[in-house]
Formats: sequence, C-alpha cells, structure tokens
Amino acid sequence: MAADVHNSKVNWDIQNESLAPIDKLRIERSDSPTPGIVEGTEPGAAQEKAMFVHTQSFEDLTAETRDTVDGDQEVESCDLTKLSNDLSQLSTHLLGQEEEQGEAEEKGEDQKVEMFDESLASVTSQDSSPCGREDICDITSDAWRNQRKHVFVLSEAGKPIYSRYGTEEALSSTMGVMMALVSFVEADKNMIKSIHGDGYKVVFLRKSPLVLVSVARTRQSEQELSRELCYIYYQIVSLLTITQLNQIFERKQNYDLRRLLAGSEHLNDNLLKQLDRDPGFLLSAVTCVPLAVSTRDIITSSLQAAKAKNLVFSILLAGNQLVSLVRKKDQYLHPMDLHLLLNLVGSSSSFREGEGWTPICLPKFNPSGFFHAHISYLDSSSDLCLILISTSREDFFCLSDCKHRFLERLWRRNAFQNLLEALQTPTYPVDLVGIPELRHFVYKSKSSGLYTSPELPPTYLVDEEQERLMGLYQYLHGRIHNSRNPLRYIYHCGQRENLLAWVTSGFEMYLCFSPLGTKVLAMNTVTKLLKWIRKEEDRLFILSPQTY
Amino acid sequence: MSGQRVDAKVVMLGKEYVGKTSLVERYVHNRFLVGPYQNTIGAAFVAKPIHVGEKIVTLGIWDTAGSERYEAMSRIYYRGAKAAIVCYDLTDSSSFQRAKFWVKELQNCEEHCKIYLCGTKSDLVEDDRSMRKVDFHDVQDYADEIKAQLFETSSKSGHNVDELFQKVAEDYDQLYSFQQMTEEKGVDLCQKKNSTFYACCHH
Ligand SMILES: Nc1nc2c(ncn2[C@@H]2O[C@H](COP(=O)(O)OP(=O)(O)O)[C@@H](O)[C@H]2O)c(=O)[nH]1
Ligand SMILES: [Mg+2]
Repeated sequence: MAADVHNSKVNWDIQNESLAPIDKLRIERSDSPTPGIVEGTEPGAAQEKAMFVHTQSFEDLTAETRDTVDGDQEVESCDLTKLSNDLSQLSTHLLGQEEEQGEAEEKGEDQKVEMFDESLASVTSQDSSPCGREDICDITSDAWRNQRKHVFVLSEAGKPIYSRYGTEEALSSTMGVMMALVSFVEADKNMIKSIHGDGYKVVFLRKSPLVLVSVARTRQSEQELSRELCYIYYQIVSLLTITQLNQIFERKQNYDLRRLLAGSEHLNDNLLKQLDRDPGFLLSAVTCVPLAVSTRDIITSSLQAAKAKNLVFSILLAGNQLVSLVRKKDQYLHPMDLHLLLNLVGSSSSFREGEGWTPICLPKFNPSGFFHAHISYLDSSSDLCLILISTSREDFFCLSDCKHRFLERLWRRNAFQNLLEALQTPTYPVDLVGIPELRHFVYKSKSSGLYTSPELPPTYLVDEEQERLMGLYQYLHGRIHNSRNPLRYIYHCGQRENLLAWVTSGFEMYLCFSPLGTKVLAMNTVTKLLKWIRKEEDRLFILSPQTY
Repeated sequence: MSGQRVDAKVVMLGKEYVGKTSLVERYVHNRFLVGPYQNTIGAAFVAKPIHVGEKIVTLGIWDTAGSERYEAMSRIYYRGAKAAIVCYDLTDSSSFQRAKFWVKELQNCEEHCKIYLCGTKSDLVEDDRSMRKVDFHDVQDYADEIKAQLFETSSKSGHNVDELFQKVAEDYDQLYSFQQMTEEKGVDLCQKKNSTFYACCHH
C-alpha cells in the first residue's frame, strides 16, 4: 500500500509561516539573540520551511488525555485490597521485596512534588551493570531485579511480546499479573496509568491491541516513561503497520506476536538504550554533522538532483547524525519517524552487506501503510548511510540508480572527500564556547527540530556517568514540560554539577555547569551561548532545507 | 543510465538462521563473519559478475530475511528470478521442512525459476557426524523429484560455495544463449524483455 497521504499534519506549515514570515527572517536574525526571541528567529532556525513536522514534548500523551476525558473519578472507587494484593505480587516478582504501600493513580500525573535526591540517583546508576541478553535470563537473580528499567510489551490477552531483560517465557507469570492489574482497574472504567512505589514507578501505556509496561527506578517522570513506551509501540508498528496489528488480533485474540517480530528484539533493545543516552530522543530532535555550508550545499543539491517519481525522502546519515535531508514538496518527516530509521540502521550491520530493500512503516506519517526503503552505505569504511524512501515496492532498481547518480555527482564535485574529512571531527569540545564553568549543553531550535550539543567532557564519558547526566536532563525536561505546571526555566543545584534548563517559544536548552557555577553566571551564559550558536549556526544546523 | 546491469536474478530463500547471508558473504566477499547473529532486514541486493567461459554473466543476488514478517512481501523478491537457492541447515531438520515450503511456493508462482537446494554448514556435520539432522540421500531423492540440483556447502570453510554459484551462472548462460538463438529467429520477443533487469526510471 502506498503511504501517500500526510493527512492532518500539513497545516502546521501555515502556522509556521505566520509565526515567522520568510521574507522578514533574515533581518530579524540578530547577532545577539535575546532569550525572548520568537520561534523562527532563534539560532539554528531554518530560513525557509523546516523539514520536520513540528512537535511538542509529550504530544502523543497529551493528545490522548484529550481524547479520553470521561473517567475523572478517583481510584478509591475500586476495591483497594484486591488491587494492593496484585500489586505486592507484582513488586515481589520484579523487585524481590514485599511492597507495603503502593499507590495507584489514574489518568493524572504524579502529584507528589518529588524532591530531587542526588544520593538515589547515584545508587541507581550503580545498579546498571551492562549485561548481555543471555546473562540475565534468570529472572530470579538479583542482577535481573536490579536493572534500572524493565520494559514489557504484552497483548491484551496477556501474552508476552517483548521483555527488555530475560526471556518472555520466563516472565509469563509476571506479565499475567500485570494484565490482571490492568483489566481489574479497567473493569471499573478507570485506566491504570501508573503505580508509585518505594523508589520505583510502574507505568502502563495502553495502545490497543498492545499493553506496554515500564518498571523504573530512575527519576524520570511518569510522562517521560510513557513517552519511552510510546517509542517502543511505534517501533513495533513500524515493522507491521497498525492495520496488520489490528487484523491479527481481531482474527485471533491470543495470537503469539513474537512469531512475526522474530529477530526484531534487538531493535527494541537498542531503542531503549538510545532513549537512555541520546538527547535527541528526549527532545524530539536530531543533530547534524558539523559541516561547511559549501560542502553541505553540494551534498544537498546532489540529493535533490538524484530524484525519482515515487521518492519521498532522501536522507544521508553519518552514524546518529544527519548530513542532509531532502523531501518531497509538502511532505514532512516527523522526528520520531526519523529516530526509528536511525534505530533501524544503528541496530544492524545487515545494511553493510549490500543494498538493503525493506518495507517500513513510518507511524507518525501514516501508521497504516508501508513505505519501501533503500538503505546502503556509501563506502565500506565510513558510517555514511543513505536512506531513500519510496512509496513503490517496485522501485528498488530505480532508487539504486538514484544512489549511483548521487555518488557520481559528489565525486565530480569533490564533495565526497570533503565530507570524509569533516567526519574526522564529527563533534566539537565545549571549550569553543569560552565559558570555563560550562561543562556541557544541549540546545534545540524548535522551528527546525534540530539540536546541537558538544562532545561529553571526560568526566561523563563512562556509561554510568553519561546515563546519569542524561538522567538529569530527563528529569529537568520532565519537570519543565509538566503539562499541569509548565515552567520557563529551572535552576538546579546538585553536589556534582549545577544545571539550568530554559524553554522559550523558539528554543529549548539544558546547560550543565561545574558545581562552582552560580545562578547569575548560568543566566549570563545563556546570552553568550546563544551568541556563539548564532555565529556557528551555518555549520551546526541545516538552515536551508530543500525539496526535490 | 548509470545503474549496474544485471543478467540473471538469483534469490536466496530459506528459514532464518540457516546461513543465506553467510553464503552470499563468502561468495561475494570471500569472507566469513563471526560475531553475534545479524538477521537480515527485508532483503539485501548485491550484483556479482562471474566468468562463464569467455563471457561475463552478472548475477543479481537477492538475500532475503526468511522471517515470517516479510512473507507477504517475499513475492517481490523472487518474482522474475531465474534461479532460486533454497537453503536449509544440515543440523536443523525443521529448516528442511521450511525449504519444502519455498519449493512449493516457487513451483506455484515462478515456474521458470530453476531451483538449487543447498544444505548449509557442512563443516559442522563433518566435525561431528551426529550433528547431521538431514539425510543426504533423502534430499537427493527429493531433489530428483522436483528436478532441482543439490549442493552441500560450508560458508565457514568455503567448501562448494563457488561451485554452487558457478553452476547457477552456467545454467543461466546455457539457457540464455539458447534464447538468443531463438530471438534471432524472431520467436521469443517478450521473453527478452523480462530477461534483463534494468533501472526503471527516466528523467
Ligand atoms: N559453522 C558454520 N556456521 C555457519 C555457516 N553459515 C552460517 N553460519 C552461522 O549461522 C548463523 C546464521 O547465519 P546467517 O548467514 O546470518 O543466516 P541467515 O539468517 O539465513 O541469513 C550465523 O551465526 C553464522 O555464523 C557455516 O557454513 N558453518
Ligand atoms: Mg540473513
């Protein structure tokens, strides 16, 4: 089936224009942008139309709450003793301890104002021993219980579909209890959304015909955890389409979906790992390889020229970074869909073998249809991977030809060599900004959907520290976008670092300072950093996205 | 037109994990990759020119995933194929049952496609005869019945791999030169159209 409609999403385009009329853009791009600047004029903003659908934090989740406003009753209405029995069973299974006072909330957010507890964050990060899939299959072992974040997917009939750690079979009983919990609370027309226990949260996401569950000892908010579950849901949809998924379970309620998903577990594994580490997944944004404008322009125009009738997107990646993206006129990619593509390419060496050709659903674009993706590396030694996405399953040789024409052009203009050279330094040190106390930052331009971030300083290079820093960003992200109480900025003092999170209509940034930094310094840094990014934006962002 | 020209489409079929990708890797790049199993996503295409006598025949090899998920799609991979290498793992009897499924599929949908049965991982059964779960003579009987050729290969050692693909290319070449002769007599014109794969779009 051809996924040729972009349905309701197109109107954002008009919105953006009204926010930042194209002809005025250049004039308004001041060299010393102030934190109050509007969307479309912030550093990194695209000069013309953006290449992505505009996104909001938690858009999937907030859209859903709007859809289901009915059951506003409190959870007291259901039999609490039965609930707490199920709950203690579940927590014994998962965490190996009896849970005394679990607390279920429906539909709402976590209302307790949680104090940020530095000691807990460090304790939990110690727990994350990097184990391979096989080592931790024994679900009675401490190692398994101590994993920081378990993720389960089950069918509405309670059949296991995916488990992040341990085999799904071994977990059948745990999944059964979860399903019992879900259906028990649902019988009362309440939807179970989360359970907050002692140092952990259990979050449920109901996406019929699937139920997704996260059991986390992290400081992430319930929204944050639901959003991750959403990613896993979309990952599964991207392999099957929602149409197929529904059909399967309509035909046979207790179908074992693992048959169809065989071999895709590592896609979910890798996605969850990315969610723990990659700020792009947190911000619904992607980052670009820093590149001289002239080089990027040649690459982009070469992609433009290598077009074909059914081609919708041409995407050149270097690892997890974007080199260039060209799209069909009026068709926009959703960052989440691009993340799924990044995940597909990043989880498998299979595309190094030859030219890959695979059906793929981009759920945010159209959850019910398959695109067909031509995926190949430009040469055997680099990470340069070209993804060409077509609506036609017959297009393989056509796209293969597009690739050759693209490569020919690059060679003829010497851009390939320049690109390889630029890839020698795919990141930059934070020192370039010239603020000694600044250790790291993540800056997203909202209108372009692109972010930039320097390389991690040595203190954060080990896996645990990297995840701890990401955990702090996630924590701030969750708080600043809390739909009940959205904030503009948060200054957070910790023992090992101070952080500032700042959100305006144009950008979003997270800064990490040494513990010696002060709040005043942090505030002053914002202006200085914006100025620096403005100066570098040509290299760090794609300012003029193109269509065929 | 800069895309490569392909003479014969060859499709690799068989259950996941039987060693289709390894077979192609060995043949095309002469290497055997060790490390965690990487399942093929969708399908992978490589073109490989091969000498047949004085001539060069370019095989366009489609390595399919073999997973159930892509089964509905598999037709687009084997449609128009001149040869199918249907693989089974000599150490896994269920994989041979699966091979029979593919043979039926081909007989129903692709009657002009020549079938090559390939028992993989022969190094494993050589090291330890008790590992063999699929009897050679049983398969030979089956191969005769369906008019297929049978090879037992090892991608690890390289045993019989070149021979398999060489045979595929030679068989194709024989048929193809025969076709050319009939074309010259002006008989089989529409056959010619299908027999080469070319890029399909014009700009
Ligand atoms: N010992 C041995 N192992 C092999 C051979 N061919 C493939 N394998 C292994 O079998 C597994 C599956 O191989 P792969 O080619 O990916 O299978 P595919 O799913 O059919 O493409 C891998 O772990 C390979 O290393 C072989 O000839 N000998
Ligand atoms: Mg394979």
